[in-house]
Amino acid sequence: MNGHSNLLNWILWMPMIGVLVVLLLPRNKEGAIRYTALINSIITFALSIVLYMKFDPTVPGMQEYFKVLHPWISQFNINYSLGVDGISLPMIVLTSLLCVLCILCSWTISKSVKAYFALFLFLQSTVFGVFMSLDFFLFYVYWEVMLIPMFFLIGIWGGENREYAAVKFFLYTFFGSVLMLVGMVALYFVSADNPSIGQNTFDILALSGGKFTDLSLRLFGVDISFAKFFFVMMFIGFAIKVPVFPFHTWLPHAHVQAPTAISVILAGVLLKMGTYGFLRIAFPIFPQASVYFADAIAWLGLINVVYGALCAMAQTDVKKLIAYSSVSHMGFVMLGLAAMTVQGMNGAVLQMFNHGTSTAMMFLLVGILYERSHHRWIVRPDGTKGYGGLYTQLPKYSIVFIIAMFASMGLPGLSGFISEALIFLGIYQKYTTITVIALLGLLIGAAYLLWMFKRMFFGEVLDDCKSYTDMNAREIFYMTPLIIAVIVFGIYPSPILNVMKVSVGNLVSLLAKFN
Amino acid sequence: MALNYLASISRYVPELLSVVIMVGLIFIEACYDREEKKKPFFYLAAFFGLTFVFVNLAASLGKPATMIFTGSMTIDPFSTLSKMLMVLGTMGAIYLSKESKDIYDNLKSEFAIMAVGVMIGGMILASANNLLMVYIGIETLSILSYALASFKKDEERSSEAGLKYSLYGGISSGIMLFGMSHIFGMFGSIQFADIIAGINGLSTAQLAVLLPSFIMFFAGIGYKIACVPFHMWAPDVYEGSPLPVTTFFSIVPKVAGLAILLRVTMTFFGQEGALQVTWVGALSVIAALTMTVGNVSAIGQRSVKRMLAYSSISHAGMMMMGVVVINELGTRSILFYAITYLFMTLVAFYVTSFVADKYGNDHFERFSGLIKRYPMMAIMMTIVMFSLAGMPPLSGFVAKFNILGALLSEKHYMLALIAVLNSVVSLYYYMKIIKLMVLKDVESMEPIMGFGVMNQSIILVLTVPVVALGLFWSGIMRLTEGASIFLGP
Repeated sequence: MNGHSNLLNWILWMPMIGVLVVLLLPRNKEGAIRYTALINSIITFALSIVLYMKFDPTVPGMQEYFKVLHPWISQFNINYSLGVDGISLPMIVLTSLLCVLCILCSWTISKSVKAYFALFLFLQSTVFGVFMSLDFFLFYVYWEVMLIPMFFLIGIWGGENREYAAVKFFLYTFFGSVLMLVGMVALYFVSADNPSIGQNTFDILALSGGKFTDLSLRLFGVDISFAKFFFVMMFIGFAIKVPVFPFHTWLPHAHVQAPTAISVILAGVLLKMGTYGFLRIAFPIFPQASVYFADAIAWLGLINVVYGALCAMAQTDVKKLIAYSSVSHMGFVMLGLAAMTVQGMNGAVLQMFNHGTSTAMMFLLVGILYERSHHRWIVRPDGTKGYGGLYTQLPKYSIVFIIAMFASMGLPGLSGFISEALIFLGIYQKYTTITVIALLGLLIGAAYLLWMFKRMFFGEVLDDCKSYTDMNAREIFYMTPLIIAVIVFGIYPSPILNVMKVSVGNLVSLLAKFN
Repeated sequence: MALNYLASISRYVPELLSVVIMVGLIFIEACYDREEKKKPFFYLAAFFGLTFVFVNLAASLGKPATMIFTGSMTIDPFSTLSKMLMVLGTMGAIYLSKESKDIYDNLKSEFAIMAVGVMIGGMILASANNLLMVYIGIETLSILSYALASFKKDEERSSEAGLKYSLYGGISSGIMLFGMSHIFGMFGSIQFADIIAGINGLSTAQLAVLLPSFIMFFAGIGYKIACVPFHMWAPDVYEGSPLPVTTFFSIVPKVAGLAILLRVTMTFFGQEGALQVTWVGALSVIAALTMTVGNVSAIGQRSVKRMLAYSSISHAGMMMMGVVVINELGTRSILFYAITYLFMTLVAFYVTSFVADKYGNDHFERFSGLIKRYPMMAIMMTIVMFSLAGMPPLSGFVAKFNILGALLSEKHYMLALIAVLNSVVSLYYYMKIIKLMVLKDVESMEPIMGFGVMNQSIILVLTVPVVALGLFWSGIMRLTEGASIFLGP
């Protein structure tokens, strides 16, 4: 394709236009604010679909047609540079889709509506920024700015313990990202010495390709490999976001305290930013160190899978259970990344997308239930049942719940299965032991979900539950796209696999050079 | 190029003007017997005069660097820019003192006069090019500061602050003077140029003998910047002094101290060798300690003023990182840092001061629910707090980014790590204020007098650079590019 498109700019800044409009509307026009946000997010989603249509899946790497490049701080060679490839495209589409649904799900928010939607759209824009940036500095700015709306969204609209959760989330991520910052600036200064780059740059593409394998740095009189040292720094930065064990402790708090829509964005999109960071930055820039640490990543991923599942099993709060199941599922992504094979990597990216849809469903469903019951106990602290017989009481809800649960469990025919199968295919030869134990994790996953389902949906209808009403039209409406997504991509994942195949293959062959 | 006496005066106009302003203000103060009549004219004169000094300095920014008064002072873009910062800081503090209730009405004009005096000391220090001028600068700066610290005459804490400040100050100037006399004894000259020439001819053993005297020399400067281990006075002085004075102390003496520290380091230790290695080693440890101690102490504070004071220690440590690297980028990043820090500090202290005036204290809880009463002010304060912690895309981040760049360009990986981890710690206590302002419920809806339209708009205007410099900082960095050139001996 010839010519040039500003589509990425439009997608990135469309939510910001929404923010401006929302801010200009008077505070008491709540309906107008909601509709503005909704229309805005629908336009953004439509734009991202256009992006998907125009995307050329045969091109490896960044698509020239969509590239945006403007100098920003010319003295430091910092550019406003955006691009899209097969890895970021699914994430962009996922983000824009989930944001539409989240705005619908936030319809019932009544506290400071204006601020809520302004912050939400702002958050959406910064998330796009992370997925589109091709300049490390720009990436970092978006990565950090994203924390500010998130902090307020959890802190103001969250549950009882919201302040603690918001602060913990913020500090944790900030800690990780400053380590990344050091790596980023260090890369900038060594890049000029590299003959193949020749100038100080933050350009992710220029830095990529394993150009820093021979460098070393002195710390306390000991020579350490530059690449390995900063790979670890960046690993911590991204791992906190994923979250990889042992950096996961912020997640249960943040997820449980956040309002439903924010939990969805958090689990559906923000966690993927961590793994996206590996795919876009840590792996391409330090391929040799990535290969070196692949074993460690795999083992950490395995701990995530098993430990997350075991933690989920022990939960009595259904939202916390889903939160821990995210830890477990993100472990599969880490496993796929550690495999560094075509299947594994494809599986990981697909799992990023699929987990985004299935976990979003789960969180939305928990939110729907919470709006009726105002609690989330499977078993209350005093030992009595929190829910019972929901299946009789809420038939429509139960069907959607079953679909979501099976998708999340990885039942064949639903989306989770394909990605997990690909991941297992990818790692089996390299890490047989890990594969076997991870399969056990899958089993535990099935166990805690089914056990939860049994306790909540079967049995006697509790008196409290008798007043619950089934899903209304709005709720069904915003669940429908996700139901379609998990079923369609479970049977026919090619629409996603096709766009990412070439880009992922590109990365795998780069890593293979250092294997 | 050294100018003769008459020609020297032409480059010495800003300092002379400041002296004229100071004397003029004393006259105005003496001429009126009633406070209300005096006030408008007095402040008009003060701001007009200082603006004139600022413009004068800005106009001379482009002129070539030169030495005046037989080489005892250097007028170069770097010193000029530092002076401009000091003038702005002084204006900011004087405006706050006018609005604040923390300073008694009958002492407000004294504050302005003394602040201008301290500023003159700072200007001399920023330009000093021989040991004597350094001493004169530091003493001019200090003596008036002692009086400022004990401004609340009837309050024990304030008197304690003054006494502590002067005792510490006296001791450290004594140590510095001792070090200086040793240096003088070795080289037979107080001129920086002669000393550098002398250093180059020394053997390693002789350098080893010389180093302690430089460390003693450093004591005086370190005391002004309040860096560890010379920071003991700072918390009590910052706490005991009235809020405008604290604001003033966290800007002007720090800029002056950093300016001279940078000049001394660049001129004496600019050349690679054993001396530089030792000096840089000592400075890195001191800078890292300053940052960490300042930050860790700030965590537990109840009073916002005290928290800001401690954090200003840590920011000074951060700026010292730019000294450690001894390169152009380091100098530029310090200047950039100081520029952004000036605006951030002013906003933070303004808001704190107006809240404290309302309640009589500045405990953290006083900020609860500020967003419900004064949304604009709460948003500005939030921006500034995030910026101080180093969140992009605000100027505080760019400042830290530049310092980090300077450190990593010289491969100081460990210092860089310490620096960024410190900003995580600082985020914790800055976030406490944000949390209270935005997430907590409001205590009372009573209006805060300080937040009039005028003051709100001033705070708004001061916050603009905090945001703007975070997004577009090419211009300022280009400005500092010129200012980083030092006039050689």
